[in-house]
Amino acid sequence: MDDFISLEHMVKVYPPRVLAVDNVSVGFQKGEIHSIVGENGAGKSTLMKLLYGLVPFDSGVVKINGAAVHFRKPGDAIAMGIGMVHQEIELISQYTVWENVVLGAEPVRGGIGGTLDSARAIELVRRKIDEFQFNLDPSAQVERISVAALQKVEILKLLYRNVSVLILDEPTSVLTPQEIPQLFAELKRLRDKDTTILFISHRLDEVLELSDRITVMRKGKKIATVAASETNKEALAQMMVGRQVIFTSKRTPHPRGDRVFEAKGLSVTRHDGLKLLDNVSFSVHAGEIVGIAGVEGNGQFELVNSVMGLAAPTSGSITVNGGGITKLSILERRKLISFVPQDRGKMGASLPASILDNAIMTHHRLEPRFSAWRGLVLNYRNARAFTDTLAKRFSVQMASRQSPFRSLSGGNQQKLILGREFLLSTPFFLMDQPTRGLDVGSIEYVHGEILSMREANRAVLLISADLEELFLIADRILVMHRGRIVADLVAEQTNIEEVGRYMLEGKITA
Amino acid sequence: MTRRILSGVLGVVIALVVGAIIMLIEGYEPLATYGALAQFSLGGIGPLTTTLKNSVPLVLTGLSAAIAFASGPVNLGQPGQLVFGALAATLGGLYISLPPVLEIPLLLLLAIAGGALWSGLAGLMKQAFGMSEFIVTLMLNMIADFFTAWVIAYPLMDRKAFSPMTPPIARSGWMPDIGPLNSSVLLMLAAVVVMWFVFQRWRAGYEWRITGQNSLFARLGGCDVRGNFMAVMLVTGALAGLAGGLVVMGGPHRFLKGLGANYAWDGIMIAIMANNGLVETLIYGVFVAAIQTGALGMELITNVPSEIAQVLQAVLVLVIVATREYAAVVFDRLAARRQARERAA
Repeated sequence: MDDFISLEHMVKVYPPRVLAVDNVSVGFQKGEIHSIVGENGAGKSTLMKLLYGLVPFDSGVVKINGAAVHFRKPGDAIAMGIGMVHQEIELISQYTVWENVVLGAEPVRGGIGGTLDSARAIELVRRKIDEFQFNLDPSAQVERISVAALQKVEILKLLYRNVSVLILDEPTSVLTPQEIPQLFAELKRLRDKDTTILFISHRLDEVLELSDRITVMRKGKKIATVAASETNKEALAQMMVGRQVIFTSKRTPHPRGDRVFEAKGLSVTRHDGLKLLDNVSFSVHAGEIVGIAGVEGNGQFELVNSVMGLAAPTSGSITVNGGGITKLSILERRKLISFVPQDRGKMGASLPASILDNAIMTHHRLEPRFSAWRGLVLNYRNARAFTDTLAKRFSVQMASRQSPFRSLSGGNQQKLILGREFLLSTPFFLMDQPTRGLDVGSIEYVHGEILSMREANRAVLLISADLEELFLIADRILVMHRGRIVADLVAEQTNIEEVGRYMLEGKITA
Repeated sequence: MTRRILSGVLGVVIALVVGAIIMLIEGYEPLATYGALAQFSLGGIGPLTTTLKNSVPLVLTGLSAAIAFASGPVNLGQPGQLVFGALAATLGGLYISLPPVLEIPLLLLLAIAGGALWSGLAGLMKQAFGMSEFIVTLMLNMIADFFTAWVIAYPLMDRKAFSPMTPPIARSGWMPDIGPLNSSVLLMLAAVVVMWFVFQRWRAGYEWRITGQNSLFARLGGCDVRGNFMAVMLVTGALAGLAGGLVVMGGPHRFLKGLGANYAWDGIMIAIMANNGLVETLIYGVFVAAIQTGALGMELITNVPSEIAQVLQAVLVLVIVATREYAAVVFDRLAARRQARERAA
């Protein structure tokens, strides 16, 4: 069978020298679900953006039905029946579903300069919804519908424009475990109506369940295209990472020690009376990893701010090693708390500053060896030695200590932050989504380091939206829902399904 | 590093070419004009030392702006801080008379205190009421401007003069000449060295830099963000105040009407040209002083009006900033294209 779309020898270099797509040739057939998998930075999104005309390529040929085409902008691709749904939802929240869908291609009464034909627009949108069984209300206001529904609106926008090739960029990353099967059922229905679906992902279980064929990319190169029925998770992971990856937890039993961290009756009330954090109490012991599961925006942000001292809780207390910290300055807290934030560039580092300047943060205040003259001058000799030790111990790949932090890859950035915080030797460790945006290899490394903190008898609080991660390394899992802790579960005595339902519903209803 | 020098030199060259085109359109001889400009600013000991002396207020206010911008606070109050420093030094010089070894340091300290007082006031408004230092420093410039105008026109006016000015300060407070060079230049250089050391080597300087780049990260890292804000406001105000003091003590030795003129605004422009680099501020400060100094002489021997220097200065700022930003993009694109060609082959 001939390829419907073929990409031949595609090359893309992002200035100055990030080789994102390295001579990739791949073909897609009509009416197949074809997944593009790879680690972060493998080039899968870029490859699709080249096809879609969103990013100009340096060399290569795009052919549709054997004829070369050249899209200069996404509009050209849509005109040829190719549409892409991005990771970020781009809808106007004040508009209704149908208004969003027809925006830019509205049915009009009376030719150019005519008025919007609302009745016909609604009818057209409803017909598309029925055709693909999307279970959407065309008149619903977009800001009131769920994330899963938003994604359907994005897809509908393209179907309304009669697109026959759909590119989806990691669509499941914003969905809860329960919403994913429904999306997959809809995608399969689309395929059965001869739509080609190009599905970008790095979640192998999903890809295996959904796809007909899978193309694996690594470091900008295509590694292979295989039929989903002829491969398995281990083989795909090996192709993706270039070596064997272990999916089972390396967590070994470890006795827990004394209570290190305790939150009691912690509440944060917004000015309009809404409780963002509602009477939260829990403790973390030495040598224990406590995971906090929950859909983002259910109080995790307020919890982190209260612990770190960015915002004072409305009521309640936090103690570390028995001493109250709610009245302490951030610097005082940092003697007790190591912190890995979820957003490296915003909270965890200064991107334009040198690697050295980033490595010594907090240490420069807490450790006398980094300053001289009673803290007036920094001791750069010790700072340089420290940076080198840190980079070596946490295998940070860097050109030089003086290179800007932003020149590091995401994984190396996170290793440096993790190492810096690890070396603070505090009793308590707060980690907010420490593996977000990292590739499989780096995630494995970070998990290993978190487990070694547990071995070193430090108390670890791990906030994560990734349930698999929590089950891999956490001893206990607390579930947050609407500012409250609705479940306190021992990892061995629960499962992803149960935690997922607590996350969504806040309780288990038979 | 080499890239930075390259784009800086390129920017200056392009700016001079643009300036030449403007002169050609106006019917002037660009080469002769530039020749006269260079001759009266750099050609010989006399012009050179004059240029250096004229660069003192430019470099010091530039330093003030560069440190403020690189550390976060948007201190645009250099004009006000400069005149307050000048006023404080003048007051000291009018009412206190000591031997030079005591008088000069005293007047310099008064100038520093005067500038710091004015910037500290803006800093306090931010800490106490959450008012943006951006608008407060701008407004305080106006107050400082009219306040000093009143002081020299009423209580301290020299009755013998034709225009508003104070009587001259005590002779012992004049900045001495060392050979042909005024000693205020040495103080300026010392200030650059000290500030470089503070900014690059002190713990406080480290925290200022990081706070300027990402204040949330600095705050979470345990830096004293509030304290540092106040310290930066005081230090940068002090630098502008020092500039004002040196203008009085090194030059007319009294507070003349319009003394602040454009020094401080030029200083802010210099900081922008220098991309807030301290050494770059020194280089561009001297460069701008050369143009301004040369322009006065140029007017004498050519028929080009000295206002062309202001046009040239504006072109310089725009072109240098544009070149710096665009050169980075072009360099990156060239590198990308080279690599893409290799991979496709």
